[in-house]
Amino acid sequence: MSAPGRFSGKVALVTGGSRGIGRAVVVRLAGEGAAVHFTYRSSAEEARALAASLTKSGRVTAVECDVRKKDAIDAAVDALVEKEGRLDILVNSAGIIRDGLFLSLSEEDWSEVLDTNLGGTWHFCKAAARQMMAQRSGRIVNLSSIVGGLGGYGQANYAASKGAINALTKSLACELASRGITVNAVSPGMVRTDMSEAARSAFGDKIREKIPLGSFAEPEEIAAAVAFLASDEARYITGQVITVDGGISLLGRR
Amino acid sequence: MSNEKLELVKQVKSVIAQALRVEESKIELGSSLIKDLGAESIDFLDIVFRLEKTFKIKIPKGELFPEKLLTDARFVKDGRVTPAGIEELKKRMPDAPWGPFSENPLVSNLGDLFTVGMIVDYLSEKLAAAQP
Repeated sequence: MSAPGRFSGKVALVTGGSRGIGRAVVVRLAGEGAAVHFTYRSSAEEARALAASLTKSGRVTAVECDVRKKDAIDAAVDALVEKEGRLDILVNSAGIIRDGLFLSLSEEDWSEVLDTNLGGTWHFCKAAARQMMAQRSGRIVNLSSIVGGLGGYGQANYAASKGAINALTKSLACELASRGITVNAVSPGMVRTDMSEAARSAFGDKIREKIPLGSFAEPEEIAAAVAFLASDEARYITGQVITVDGGISLLGRR
Repeated sequence: MSNEKLELVKQVKSVIAQALRVEESKIELGSSLIKDLGAESIDFLDIVFRLEKTFKIKIPKGELFPEKLLTDARFVKDGRVTPAGIEELKKRMPDAPWGPFSENPLVSNLGDLFTVGMIVDYLSEKLAAAQP
């Protein structure tokens, strides 16, 4: 039985849900009543533990899936629709970084990041939108990053993938609006996750000084914005990239 | 019309009604999807997906609605379908009413040829071919 709440009766799919922001989104949506399927690639143990810990709050299913593989994605979405009968919310959170100076980035650094972050988002949007179009309703929320708009030192591949996600988000929003599907992105600054750990330990203090609100984000703070965009209340918002960064992208200093 | 065909027409009308949000009673075999029923480009995709589901078939891209052809420079020039393009379209849609279109082959008029009847004809053939 799902918990009563904002997402009661809704079916959600969260990619990259075993860790980081994706995990916080899974916890939030399940906690507010959604049946949640989430994908993971390498963190089988974390995924199992997460699913087990949430059995009380709702129906949570962990699905192993490499978001670079179109066939695996189609199969995952088909299986979800077969089981749940519908798909209301897609959150594309699966992402990786392979930071390095542009001139030293390998072909692999480039393609792995683009294929995972952008390719995964594109494949999942496509598979989900087809089902949502038949339902004539749906919410898609893509995880972006402020570097997608600002650029980032040593992040040419990551920034390119996130900038492209912003453009993809806006284009899909145009195309799918007539089907009652909204498509938005959430663009975080520096968040306390495994992914950003290296960067935070290398120059965390320097970055923190530039954040007007004074601290890094917790994954839950990003999940709150994702949940809002995925909710019925956000029905009139589409094609937007919502920045959740403690103000770091502002010119002002603390 | 055979009972089988009548059933097919009924199912197609129901699919179109769902995709375009129009009343089934407003849908005739001769209705143009664009001109009479207000279809836009994404509606054609919606119709294809719904047909695939309803009839449990696969409709390869461009087989029912040859929309790719319209962005092909060999077949379309200055907003008009070239003679080569018309030949190609006739091959795909032999039953469409080509007379009036050939006289003024504006791409924008092409939608008139996409009718409910065209979908029924396409499915009749497709489903017959799928019979064991």
